[in-house]
Amino acid sequence: MTPLEAAIVGVLGLNAMVTIALTAMGEVIAERSGVVNIGLEGILLASAWLAVYADIATGSWLAGYLAGLAMGAALGLMHAAIAVYARGDQIIAGVGLNLAAAGGTTLGIRAVWGNYGQSPPVASRPPAFDVLGVRVSYMVPLTFLVAILAWWLLERTEWGLRVKAVGDDPRSADALGISVERTRLAATVLGAALAGVAGAYMSIDYLGSFVKLMSAGRGFIALAAVAFSGWDVLGALLGSIVFGLGDALSTYYTTIRGSSAAAYPYRTIPYILTLLAVSATAWRARMPRALGRPYKRE
Amino acid sequence: MEPVVELRGIVKVYPDGVRALDGVSLRLYPGRVHAVLGENGAGKTTLMRILYGEIKPTRGELLLDGRPARFRGTRDAIRRGIAMIYQHPRLVPTLTVWENVLLYFASAGVPEGEAEERLEEARRITGFDVPLDARVEDLPLGARQRAEILRSIAAGARVLILDEPTTNLTPQEFEGLARAIEGAKREGLAVAYITHRLPEVKAIADLVTVLRRGRVVASELDPRGASEEELARLMVGELPPRPSRSRGGPGDRVVLSIEGLRARGRMEVFVERLEVREGEVLGLAGVEGNGQEELVGAIVGYTPRLSGRVVVLGRVNPTPREYYRAGAAYIPGDRSKALVLHFSVAENLAFLRYAHEGPALLTFSRLARLYREVAGEYGIVAESPWAPAGSLSGGNQQKLLAASQLHMRPRFLLAVNPTRGLDVATTRYVRGLIARLADEGAGVMLVSSDLDEIIELSDRVAVISRGRITGILPAGKATPERIGLLMGGAA
Repeated sequence: MTPLEAAIVGVLGLNAMVTIALTAMGEVIAERSGVVNIGLEGILLASAWLAVYADIATGSWLAGYLAGLAMGAALGLMHAAIAVYARGDQIIAGVGLNLAAAGGTTLGIRAVWGNYGQSPPVASRPPAFDVLGVRVSYMVPLTFLVAILAWWLLERTEWGLRVKAVGDDPRSADALGISVERTRLAATVLGAALAGVAGAYMSIDYLGSFVKLMSAGRGFIALAAVAFSGWDVLGALLGSIVFGLGDALSTYYTTIRGSSAAAYPYRTIPYILTLLAVSATAWRARMPRALGRPYKRE
Repeated sequence: MEPVVELRGIVKVYPDGVRALDGVSLRLYPGRVHAVLGENGAGKTTLMRILYGEIKPTRGELLLDGRPARFRGTRDAIRRGIAMIYQHPRLVPTLTVWENVLLYFASAGVPEGEAEERLEEARRITGFDVPLDARVEDLPLGARQRAEILRSIAAGARVLILDEPTTNLTPQEFEGLARAIEGAKREGLAVAYITHRLPEVKAIADLVTVLRRGRVVASELDPRGASEEELARLMVGELPPRPSRSRGGPGDRVVLSIEGLRARGRMEVFVERLEVREGEVLGLAGVEGNGQEELVGAIVGYTPRLSGRVVVLGRVNPTPREYYRAGAAYIPGDRSKALVLHFSVAENLAFLRYAHEGPALLTFSRLARLYREVAGEYGIVAESPWAPAGSLSGGNQQKLLAASQLHMRPRFLLAVNPTRGLDVATTRYVRGLIARLADEGAGVMLVSSDLDEIIELSDRVAVISRGRITGILPAGKATPERIGLLMGGAA
């Protein structure tokens, strides 16, 4: 690999990082409040689909992003209703969301675009700039900005303190006058809305169309990045860069070198890193203590 | 005098149909300590949770300064100046004290700029000081409680509810609490003091209201005009007799001996030497979390022993299986961990029988017979042998646990808080079983955070503090004061 090729792989990695990073940082916020959402894969798909639909229908990429955001927030609201208010099983709700989105968007391709595989290219693609001849979305720098904002929100505001309180000890939080339900609802919706933006980026920005099941596990990779991060937004960003680079390296080997055999190890390395990180006991101690557990007052 | 707060005709029926309160009224006056006395399950805590806005009453009214008030949650109550100190501290353990204070101040509407000044004022009133930068989970329970009281008063509370506040305190810490309550009274706070301990009522309260099974049986009595015996009768109805030990003195045979034992669980314990002989009860007193759990684990064999020896009925460093097979029994402190609550009563008896006797072919009829024997002997009330253990009342669960261990006629019993959460009658019954076992010649080690229990049953009292035995007192010299000093770590 020449230095130029390495630099190009780096840029490709940053493009690939955005979807995972936004999703993972959103999930860090939700999980710090005690709500786990394994339906991220479904949110990515559903919002990616709706973003393309809105983009083509209105001819505006901004409408596409807003549609993705709205879809994410709506699905987050649904998940919160089940997990927080109905005190349902969060894993099962998430699995349901993934299955429904996979089926729903596939059906949506057929219903709207008349084929079984993909949408036409979007009518309007968000503006971007060139680095070394590679198209780079403005979402790349924006993702770093979101990371700083999310970190500030969690670590430097009273709202962040409330989120951590309800995620670690909802009974005490209740006694401190914090509404466990409302705080969890807000964190879950905010987290899912970020995943919605990530889904929109993936379809209208990163690829330029919607392809059947195009999220290809990125929602789960984001969950891995959350665990890798030790429930910290900046760690999640770092993890996402590692995953993005793994993605870019494997793309480099398949498309530039034409060797798919070498591609797989590079895709695997991030997972091995995650496994190692997560299996360290010191790491598990950082998990929000009431993660996945509904709060019941009486 | 006009009450600050008045609860009128409060009825609370929980979603599972339990009627916790049945028309209870209570008034709290400025500058007065109103004790709410009652057994576990009398409804005291439920009443206070309603006052604190945490749960909603099924019926009844709440008046604040004579006007009806309705709380949608704890935040509303905090805003109106009602502060609750729960039996077990409710601070987020992963945050610092300061962060917890800030969250509470935000709920109370105290501007952040005034925080320091207000805390300083509250320090003066209570005489309490707590390290604000410490993470809550690094603080002992007593300090967490002081932090809660301090921040409540700093936030401008007018009503201070203390729910069984001495549960996690040493006798010395109780004096500090009493001084803080004095300070709060002088500032005109109305204090509700929830307890089932009579001496505390006599020491602290200006008024006392007694609850029994969700009803008021005596309202606004003057505690100085009522004897402890009278109050006790009001609280529990008929009192069963106290268990008595015949105290024949220990025999020669040592049933448990510990030498140079070092073990580590959540903390490290080291015990140079400890013995229990047949026919004696050795009490182990201490504030919870001072190594009791680790020591018990090292005796039974589920906490790793780093060095030294534990000999139980001749078995050196037994595994849990060897421990039971040697003829030793164990009543753990947390019954939800000793019973499988969604399994039936009979099945639970079968598990515990298995631990002592090993595998055997069990038929339904044999299980039912085992159940009838045990239930008959120990007075366990269950719908049937096949009812889930979790459907039994707490008292019956504890009887089931005790029965399953004592039925095997053990020669050594290790019992941890065997009467925690039980009403007076069941408490006396279970203590009676332990006393009888020792009188019949078994050795007993009784680990309890209840000093009365320790003093009532023990022939000798060992005290544990920070993982070390700080002293062993014979029954005659084991007064609460001396035990308290040792609990605090004084040699």
